[in-house]
Amino acid sequence: MKIETTNWHKAMAVPAFLLFSLFFLFPLIRGAGLSLTDWDGYSEPNFIGLQNFISFFSDERALGDVKTTVLFALGSAPLLNIVGLSLALLLNRSFFGRNTARALLYLPAVISPMIMGSIWYLLLQPKRGMLAVIFQNLGFEASGNWMLSGNTALMVIVLVNVWQYAGMTMIIYLAGLQAIPEEHYEASSVEGASAFQTFRYIVLPELVPSLKINIITNIIGSLSVFDVILALTDGGPGYDTESLSIYIMRMSYGNKTGYSTAVAMILFFIILIPVLLSLRFFKKVEDA
Amino acid sequence: MSTTTQHAIIGASRTGAKRSFRLKMATVILVSMIAAVPFYLLILLALKHPEGGLGSIGFLPDFHLKNISEAWKSSDLGRAMLNNVIMTVGGVFLLVFLASMAGFAIARVRSSLNRIIFAILLVCMMIPGIINTVPLYTLLIRLKGINTYWSMICVMAANALPFSVFLYTSFIRAVPTSLEESAVIDGCSYFSAFWKITFPLIGPVTASVVILQGLGMWNNYAQAVFFLQDKAHRNIPLAVSLFFQQYGANWPLMAAAALIGLVPAVIMFLLFQKYFVEGITTGAIKG
Repeated sequence: MKIETTNWHKAMAVPAFLLFSLFFLFPLIRGAGLSLTDWDGYSEPNFIGLQNFISFFSDERALGDVKTTVLFALGSAPLLNIVGLSLALLLNRSFFGRNTARALLYLPAVISPMIMGSIWYLLLQPKRGMLAVIFQNLGFEASGNWMLSGNTALMVIVLVNVWQYAGMTMIIYLAGLQAIPEEHYEASSVEGASAFQTFRYIVLPELVPSLKINIITNIIGSLSVFDVILALTDGGPGYDTESLSIYIMRMSYGNKTGYSTAVAMILFFIILIPVLLSLRFFKKVEDA
Repeated sequence: MSTTTQHAIIGASRTGAKRSFRLKMATVILVSMIAAVPFYLLILLALKHPEGGLGSIGFLPDFHLKNISEAWKSSDLGRAMLNNVIMTVGGVFLLVFLASMAGFAIARVRSSLNRIIFAILLVCMMIPGIINTVPLYTLLIRLKGINTYWSMICVMAANALPFSVFLYTSFIRAVPTSLEESAVIDGCSYFSAFWKITFPLIGPVTASVVILQGLGMWNNYAQAVFFLQDKAHRNIPLAVSLFFQQYGANWPLMAAAALIGLVPAVIMFLLFQKYFVEGITTGAIKG
């Protein structure tokens, strides 16, 4: 039997694609074009080939920002997963107060990272920060100098980010843990498996989808880190904690629009490479 | 083995279990405190009486509520909250409307057009918004979209589209076509069959999109800082950060502004906690 109906439902993806094209794809492609120009944001852009990309590799501030961004990601993404998974394992089985603990741990993740960073700024400033004041009141010699050197400041930023989003990765791992039937644990305990063996052979295989989503979103999120750094250190001291996203914003404000789009293209590849590598890794794991 | 040794072994493993339970509870309490203490310190600071300076901070709040009202007035956070509501609700509606239809078309109609659209969206899922923000800014100047609600709504919805379409597509694929088809045989168009029959069946996906993407829109700073520059259109994160720059010396007032700024999200979370967790879970499992 032939169903009489209009055909235009076949184009129901088109409105979404139009919006996406105008506000995402078009700027993306235009950005790729602008990255080959010396545009300052006002006058006519001149085509200068790969000059921006060549300048990038002798731009010490930019290279420092690459280092900061990558170091932040190398600290943040693994820590978020280790802490998130540990919390999930801790809060998986039911006990009194479990749901309150879960809610409390997830709570920071619903707050804007800009606001959360601002709060930690009040807590962590040297001398007049809340924590320094409290330490002093308790009689400790607390300088609170952790924000004054680039390395420790970056560590603090990583820890603040982990503090804020560990609950988010926890919830996703909990979803994976909840899918494991109780009998599997029982079977492994009857077989006399150690806690490690149970984790390795019963728990870990079931966690692959959660691992995948957490690792990939954490790679993308940490390599494009923006708000929390602006709020906590504003990229300082000097440019020591400036991330590439912040550099892109500042270059675009500072008459170097063409250059800033080139830096954005470089950031794009910095994100793409580890994401594609992890996707390949997870495909192998899933196929095995 | 004698019964006494058996008893001893069982007893030992019981105290062992008890000890490990206590250790576990102690860990739970410790990590919960690590999560909660910064909020408590924020409240202490936000309610601090100016007298005695920060050095006189105690373990209980001063309940100097004047900080809150003063921060509320001078930060214009009321206006920012209204702006947040307009832009988040607008963005979420646009996103759900477009993404669910796109997901339906991609799941049901295997045309090359849909395949290309889906492939492009999948690739773009890996691209954070900051990459195209600068060229987008120049585009919005031309479209007269700087300092407007509609531009932020469109930008935020566009940024959230890839993941949402992906989610809708994979869920709609799991919904049997038989109900839609019988509606179509009864004279319904596929378009209205989708809205009347399929869309209500995929409520959990919509909840997930609303919560995850709505939260992202509510907390947006990276786009807002470019596209919302006048006071009348500022969102909450922007208003708080500008307040911090202006009142960079008055710490209790800064804390009060930050506290006001986080309250709406916290209330929403406490009210709809169950949906938050389910929303993230739904998104994660299919993602």
